[in-house]
Amino acid sequence: MLTLERISRHFGGVTALEQVSLTVPSGQVFGLIGPNGAGKTTVFNLITGLFPPSSGEMHFQGQSLLGLPPYRIATRGIARTFQNIRLFSEMSLIDNVIVGMHAHLDYPIWDAVLRTPRFRRLERHARAEAHQLLHRVGLGDLSQELAGNLSYGNQRKLEIARALATQPRLLLLDEPVAGMNATEKNAVMALIESLRQDHLTVFMIEHDMRFVMGLCDTVAVLNFGRIIAEGPPSAIQSNPAVIEAYLGQEDSAS
Amino acid sequence: MDWSSWWATYSTLVLSIGVYGLMALSISLTLSCGLLSLANAAFMGIGAYVSAVSTLQYGLSFPSALLLGILAPSSVALLIGVPVLRLSGVYLAMATLGFGEVVRVVALNLDITGGPLGLNGIPLLTEWWHVLLSVVVVLLLLQALRHSRIGRAFEAIREDETAARLMGIATHRIKLLAFVLGAAIAGLAGGLNAHYTFTLSPGNFGFENAVDILTMAILGGIQGLLGPLLGGAIITLLPELLRGLQEFRMAANGVILIAVVLFLPHGIWDPRRLARWLKKRSKHADA
Repeated sequence: MLTLERISRHFGGVTALEQVSLTVPSGQVFGLIGPNGAGKTTVFNLITGLFPPSSGEMHFQGQSLLGLPPYRIATRGIARTFQNIRLFSEMSLIDNVIVGMHAHLDYPIWDAVLRTPRFRRLERHARAEAHQLLHRVGLGDLSQELAGNLSYGNQRKLEIARALATQPRLLLLDEPVAGMNATEKNAVMALIESLRQDHLTVFMIEHDMRFVMGLCDTVAVLNFGRIIAEGPPSAIQSNPAVIEAYLGQEDSAS
Repeated sequence: MDWSSWWATYSTLVLSIGVYGLMALSISLTLSCGLLSLANAAFMGIGAYVSAVSTLQYGLSFPSALLLGILAPSSVALLIGVPVLRLSGVYLAMATLGFGEVVRVVALNLDITGGPLGLNGIPLLTEWWHVLLSVVVVLLLLQALRHSRIGRAFEAIREDETAARLMGIATHRIKLLAFVLGAAIAGLAGGLNAHYTFTLSPGNFGFENAVDILTMAILGGIQGLLGPLLGGAIITLLPELLRGLQEFRMAANGVILIAVVLFLPHGIWDPRRLARWLKKRSKHADA
């Protein structure tokens, strides 16, 4: 579904990513792990078009993503959440989700000005759909609350609902359970499992190993901008290079 | 004082309240999507000159003159918006102020605008109901936009432009729309303004006016549509109400503005604060 081929990215003299090649197969939950500063979020920023790679190729469903502005990449079917939450905090939960539907709610401006039946039908439909999405992530009772008033864990859930509102085929989750308690983590785990049932492809960055190992079909490990291992969770857990990257070599581990 | 002599004395003031209400609405449109654009005074100037020249020198009817006064600044906004809206924050403010100076200097040097003397003897065609109707139509238009995908996109861009782009919003187009629509409203205000003031001069639409218009929107508050109208009315009326203070008038004007900004950071008309206050009151009443 998504392939990166020999992607590199430099920031000035710093190499953030070096010859990264990845394939996220359709319908899978794919995990990207690695120590802090390894370049994981940079991978997401490149895929979503926030900045271009210095070199390499990216394809989504067979089509190149290079040179496309972020909003076009979003309408092609890639949605994401953010490690440092980026909600519209002064808007209500329901409005946050409806913003995600912007591209699909494509009535022309005069429909809105004249409040035509089509406008009212589409808006009503969007609102109903947004309510369903909020229920799906467990925030159904808070739809009129301001996003900024939510707890940290609930803000992460709202980000997922907003991303789903764009009707993605590939969902990028950047540390979806960071800062959550065990109950909230289990809820998100069940949610991702249900997304998998719906044939949505999920690509996530996460530090919580129980979470990653429990959900992912394939895990790739990024360290200092390079992929050092890729495979099923069981193989990754026992891979010596991965253990070294996380724990350091024996003499520096103590 | 009977009504006709009251109107003869105060008509300009009353019409100005409406016209500056429109100007405050026009700048609140760009502010509502996070753009600090100070070009609105210049757009008003273009609208005023174009419509005044249309009636004065080409003998066009008032409606067609107003229409041209709307179209001219919108087309200019469309042209300069593409490059200028790549800027944000204070850089956008500086670029749009610079544009305002260009417009002023052009008006100062063209023959058709009467150069430094400006235009005199512009027919007095603006009736009170023209202004009222314009305000009502603009309010309805903006109200409809606020509750549509366009209005939500404005708000999303103001809160987090990057997140908005990644949600599939073509942010550059939405910002251009706000800029052009703001210019159209300012042009309408300019056309109405020109046809009750009798004269126009390049100084009317300079830096000072640009800042005044911004002040109206900030003072009134941009959370709701009533805020800019209120701000426009206050800034227009304040110098008149403070006439008794004579030479201290402008200083008092400034002190009032500072107080409002300090104590009411969202402006005077802030629906959210009002809702909180009402809730608190009803709680007290229950207890």
